[in-house]
Amino acid sequence: MFPVVGGRGGPAAARLLLAPRGAVLVAAVRGRKSRNDPVAKSKEGRVKVPPPVDPAEMVVLRERFSEYTMIMRALRLEFKEEVLRKKYEEETGSQAEERARQDAEEHRALMAWNNEENRRLLHIRTMRIQQETEEADRKKLEAAIKREQEQQEFIKEKEKEILQLQEEVKNFINLENLDQRIEEALDNPKNYNFAIDKGGRVVKQTMLQ
Amino acid sequence: MPRYELALILKAMQRPETAAALRRTVETLMERGAVVRDLENLGEKLLPYKITKHNERHSRGAYFLLDFYSSPEILPGFLNHLHRDVDVVRPTVLKKDAQAPSSTNCCGSAQ
Repeated sequence: MFPVVGGRGGPAAARLLLAPRGAVLVAAVRGRKSRNDPVAKSKEGRVKVPPPVDPAEMVVLRERFSEYTMIMRALRLEFKEEVLRKKYEEETGSQAEERARQDAEEHRALMAWNNEENRRLLHIRTMRIQQETEEADRKKLEAAIKREQEQQEFIKEKEKEILQLQEEVKNFINLENLDQRIEEALDNPKNYNFAIDKGGRVVKQTMLQ
Repeated sequence: MPRYELALILKAMQRPETAAALRRTVETLMERGAVVRDLENLGEKLLPYKITKHNERHSRGAYFLLDFYSSPEILPGFLNHLHRDVDVVRPTVLKKDAQAPSSTNCCGSAQ
């Protein structure tokens, strides 16, 4: 009822181990009785008898079985031989050299094409780099020139400012014209106030308190 | 050198005293190594509010504008000196910008 796993059964055990999940595996162990226990009363005279064999059937079966195995072996060897022959032809057959030669040709052609491509791209690259270096040099030169110009302009500006300041220095107050300037200032009060309306008209004349 | 402007409010005094005070101020400035550029008188006006200084209540003051070039280090000492001067009601030192603020935020017609 339950598939029993024998102690040392080879393929049978393997098949039972791979049995479907519903079937429960039961190991054949001696269970309640150990080695030296006497046989049960009901099993006293029991002699284990192998299943009966019909001799005629046996002969026929043996015959058929040997024929069957012979045929199977022959087929198997045939197929093996075919496989080996195919493999042999693959490696050292007539087509093999041709194919090897063609592969070599193709390889050479592709390598040549690759080298051509590389050379072309190298050329393009060198041209591009050359142009870029030229550009960079030109830009640097231009930047240097511009900087020079800006410096010159800056110097000119500063010189102009210096000259203007030198002019204005004549109007500054020093100890000599201090009194005079004070009198002048006290005589002329300056008025910065002005009035403006929404139209934008400016009126500078206001009354000083 | 940076350029500063001293907005000076002097006590409402007679002319010789005002002249003396101004002379004092300018000489102090020159002693400390400044170069005085110009002195303007904005007149004697009513102060916007009554100011009490040196135990005296002022309602009128004489406004003067003094622009000068100087080093910034002398300014604290100079202001200190002006605060102690009895005739000075209020000294204010401002930095002068080189040009007017470039982008005035007021929109509308510029005339």
